[in-house]
Amino acid sequence: MEYGKAYVFQPSDIRPAKRRRVDTQGLQASWRRRREAYTKAWQAQQRAIDERLSSINAATVSEVSAFLDEAISSPQSERIPTGVILAGYGVNSHSSIVSQLARRKSADEDGRQIYVTLTSAYGANLKALLKSLIQRALRRQTGLDDDEEDPPTATARRGPRLLNYDLQLLHDYVREHKLQQIVVAFEDTEAFDSDLLSELIEMLGCWHGRIPFAFLFNIATSIDFLQQRLARAAIKCLDGRLFDLAPAGEAVEAVFDALMSSGAPLWLGPSVMSILLERQGDYIQSIDGFVDAVRYAYMSAYYANASTQCLESSENLPDDHCEALRNLESFRAYAQQMLENKELLRLKDCLESNQSLAAVTSLRITEGQRKLNDMMSALSTLRKIQEVLPNMSVSPRSSLYVQAMSGKLHGSTLLRMLLLTIRKMPSHVTVRLLEAILAADSLDTYAQGVCRQLLGELNEILGSRNDPTQPLRSEDDVQNSTLRTTVVAQKVELSKHKAALSDQDKAYTQVLGRLSEVLESYFEETLVNPKDLPFHEVFVYDLKSPHREVFMPRPRHAIERALASPHDYLDCECCEPDRGERDEATLSATQPATAVLYQLYLESGSLINASDLWQAFQAVIGDERDESQTMAHFQRALAELKYLGFVKQTRKRVDHIAKVMWRGL
Amino acid sequence: MGLQHLPEELLTLLEQWPCREQQLRQLSAVLSPKLPSPHAVVVHGPHATGKTGIVRSHLANSKLKHAFIDCRECVTGRHLLERTVAVVHNAVTGDANSLNDRCENVSALVVNLQRLLDGRGKFALVLDGVDKQREPSPTLLPALARLGEVIPDLTVVLIVQYPPPRFLHQTGIPHTYFSPYTRNQSIHILSQNAPDIFIEPPPADLEYDEDVHQEDKAWLWPRFCAAVWDSLAQNAARDLLAFREVCHKLWRPFVAPIIRGDFGTRDFSRLLVAQRRLFQDESVLLDSVVPAVALPSNVRREGHELPYYAKWLLVAAYLASFNPGKLDALYFMKTTERKRRKKGGGTARSGGGRPSQNRKMPRHLMAASAFTLDRLMSILHAILPHDLRTTIDMYTQIATLTSLKLLVRGGGIGSSDPSEPGGKWRVGPAVSWDYTQALARSLDFTLIDYLAE
Repeated sequence: MEYGKAYVFQPSDIRPAKRRRVDTQGLQASWRRRREAYTKAWQAQQRAIDERLSSINAATVSEVSAFLDEAISSPQSERIPTGVILAGYGVNSHSSIVSQLARRKSADEDGRQIYVTLTSAYGANLKALLKSLIQRALRRQTGLDDDEEDPPTATARRGPRLLNYDLQLLHDYVREHKLQQIVVAFEDTEAFDSDLLSELIEMLGCWHGRIPFAFLFNIATSIDFLQQRLARAAIKCLDGRLFDLAPAGEAVEAVFDALMSSGAPLWLGPSVMSILLERQGDYIQSIDGFVDAVRYAYMSAYYANASTQCLESSENLPDDHCEALRNLESFRAYAQQMLENKELLRLKDCLESNQSLAAVTSLRITEGQRKLNDMMSALSTLRKIQEVLPNMSVSPRSSLYVQAMSGKLHGSTLLRMLLLTIRKMPSHVTVRLLEAILAADSLDTYAQGVCRQLLGELNEILGSRNDPTQPLRSEDDVQNSTLRTTVVAQKVELSKHKAALSDQDKAYTQVLGRLSEVLESYFEETLVNPKDLPFHEVFVYDLKSPHREVFMPRPRHAIERALASPHDYLDCECCEPDRGERDEATLSATQPATAVLYQLYLESGSLINASDLWQAFQAVIGDERDESQTMAHFQRALAELKYLGFVKQTRKRVDHIAKVMWRGL
Repeated sequence: MGLQHLPEELLTLLEQWPCREQQLRQLSAVLSPKLPSPHAVVVHGPHATGKTGIVRSHLANSKLKHAFIDCRECVTGRHLLERTVAVVHNAVTGDANSLNDRCENVSALVVNLQRLLDGRGKFALVLDGVDKQREPSPTLLPALARLGEVIPDLTVVLIVQYPPPRFLHQTGIPHTYFSPYTRNQSIHILSQNAPDIFIEPPPADLEYDEDVHQEDKAWLWPRFCAAVWDSLAQNAARDLLAFREVCHKLWRPFVAPIIRGDFGTRDFSRLLVAQRRLFQDESVLLDSVVPAVALPSNVRREGHELPYYAKWLLVAAYLASFNPGKLDALYFMKTTERKRRKKGGGTARSGGGRPSQNRKMPRHLMAASAFTLDRLMSILHAILPHDLRTTIDMYTQIATLTSLKLLVRGGGIGSSDPSEPGGKWRVGPAVSWDYTQALARSLDFTLIDYLAE
């Protein structure tokens, strides 16, 4: 067998004893239905997100496309028209810009313009880059060309086959199809080698008179950095215009806008959301990663939680699903509440009959979803009020969402400040505020009615006042009171004195008081804590753990920890540390050789003498074994450490190895 | 020899190309359709001296059959050869198709050309910028120069900028030198067509008609060009193209006071004094991708902000590059915090302010030195104000910064392999002292406390 180069595999007819479990049982049985529900829910969400995201940069896209059209209609200089797009850190956002442009063009034109995207991965030299540029340009059969044409690489030109990096190919193609512009988009400008990029630009600049090029550079740093890297001759070929994309924060806000207003059946809880936001701000700035993470949250909610089936329909729930529902934390609290309210019959019904449980569940879930929707509209009302008030910054949707979902917004300083400011508003701001609230139409009917009434009263008061240029002031406004200090028996007393207020001012103050009361009660009613809603586990997904493990693994830490304390992973009796000691790693001969060597490695300095290491290793492993066997273990362990990148050979001293990695970084 | 001895067509060329009489005469002698020609001709001279243009228009004028190849457009040596065959074929037969031969090397080129040019009469093959050819084989140039020896009636014209001595391994090849234009020549050439002073015609009641305008601008423009030459161009834009570009860039701001009516068209000296600032500003000599005037004020020239940890990583990388490794314990260990803070008050050993004997260059003016990734990570841990849970995102961050060339791989053998243990990195050229300082300020981190002098 060892010397044979190949052998014929002859399977025996006996089927293997272990079979795959194809049919799912228990809570997993509903997985298919939940997957359908997920697809439906996410598609709606994705559509909403896409819509918002494409509208963010719509202005820039149309600017860029106008710039390109202008370059077609008035080709003025020998320089190549160049759009420099400040795209920011994440590259993905740009690719969508170019594809948005291309889609827009192909929709409303007859394909006289083609888009070629180049990234640095396409080639490390000029030849390869030109080759892929030409291939990509020719492969796109734009417009209404029929399929029966020759393959696009063979143009009508007969004669010698040109080399595949010869721009003459592209030239012939352009002439044949009467193209007006070839837009070359450099996706990751910074990643190109500077010399290569300059050379490519110069090369295309040579052909600019014959092939109408236009460039789009996507840069993540600054334009000066790009300029530093290009050769002077290359810069002379470019005639640039700068375009700016929306920063990544705005894109996150847009995604939140979509999440909050799409009326999706599922909500993401505060802890998972804050993890996502934190990661977004700390590390990544591409919005696609964020959307993916949200999508993953949707998936894990639907796939792993059997009770999410109730989101779709709670009819025909299997028994085990009902049992799962009864075990929910929030259902128990709900049952307790029913018990306290002496609704024993209903409670009994819920506990015994699956049907009535399903009915109650769907009712409560719908109610909970409605409450959360109300909360979201309360958040947008809050933002609207902040917009109207002067000297008040509008809080971002994301932070409001996280605060509201964790139930901390009600009674927060933010809300108190807001209501206090409302009590001090001058009348012209109040009118604007009331009009904005009424126009938004997001309050409940009662509050809406009160607001309308207040606006009427306010207009009456405003009509009756003496000096129409001066706005009415509130009694609570600091401008209307003065502080007085009086010294009584060697103590300073502070006393507030209200300035004399007119009758209109007093009436206005009352209006303001009622307004703030209405708003306060409105916010109190709508800003519920989602944790208090019955069955909130079903429609609010709030688990940290899969996200952490999936999106933020720690490979280096895992390897280091496994090597430092192998017992935790092997769970064998032989290496168990003594009870008396703390769980610090101890060396023992029974541990894997690599782990022993790693712990010795941790104790040494940056240069390790191989012979010393061997002696220490031998002392740990013990004398009872054969030396040659120990040596084999040692060599293998050392090779593994080298493979993992912990040590390397050094030229400083021949018999030493250099320590490359330190622990805990 | 006076101008009257020149043939008629040369006179028209001379009008088209002023100040190039001598070169034209030489070319007309060696590339005459009637007289025998040498088998190779070298045309050389610095950038923007009219080499290509004159050769091209002379050949077009003399009715000599010729082919013209721009070597800058050829990506490889083989590309040049194939191109040559195609262009010669096109020139000889006037038909772009029906040739189906490969041309892998110079020998194949010789065979192809022999076949193509057999009995077709005199032919000139011009290779423009052949010294700038990419990936040339070492024998390419000498072989091209000997083409004419093998093929009768072929003259190879090589246009180069600076021919090294014996670069063709051959002697006796006629060289034509195109000297750079002098001050007077440059101004003379530029004044051939003066740009307008007034873009819109002035109001009719001023009685300023087109003839006067022509006269005025022909008067003002050469004087302006001379001023530009003396102030800026003679040092920094000596070649004709750069000189012309600078003149055209400055012309409109220069004549703006005339259009406003502050000065007359002939008030050159007063105008020059009033506009002297234009001739002092050297930024006009620099090219830029995005012209400064076209930049709307609301668009930032700087890019978007980096993520939080990317900023910290760059600051740590800057420190790792510009601090010597042996001082790391002093600057980054928490226990030595007190020792480090001697900058303000000074301790007993701070040495009374006597300047040291050997002057040292500030470190931030020197090139960045390389560091290992582990050093970067430990410095990052040391300078962060809070604990860090190193996840895979941090490694992604390093990779992204590398692709943006803000961190670059550097130093040592095997530096191209990113998985090499103990591989070295350094900060990219864009991460300067000012840039890092701005980053550190946005993080509320006092960079100067951690930087070795």
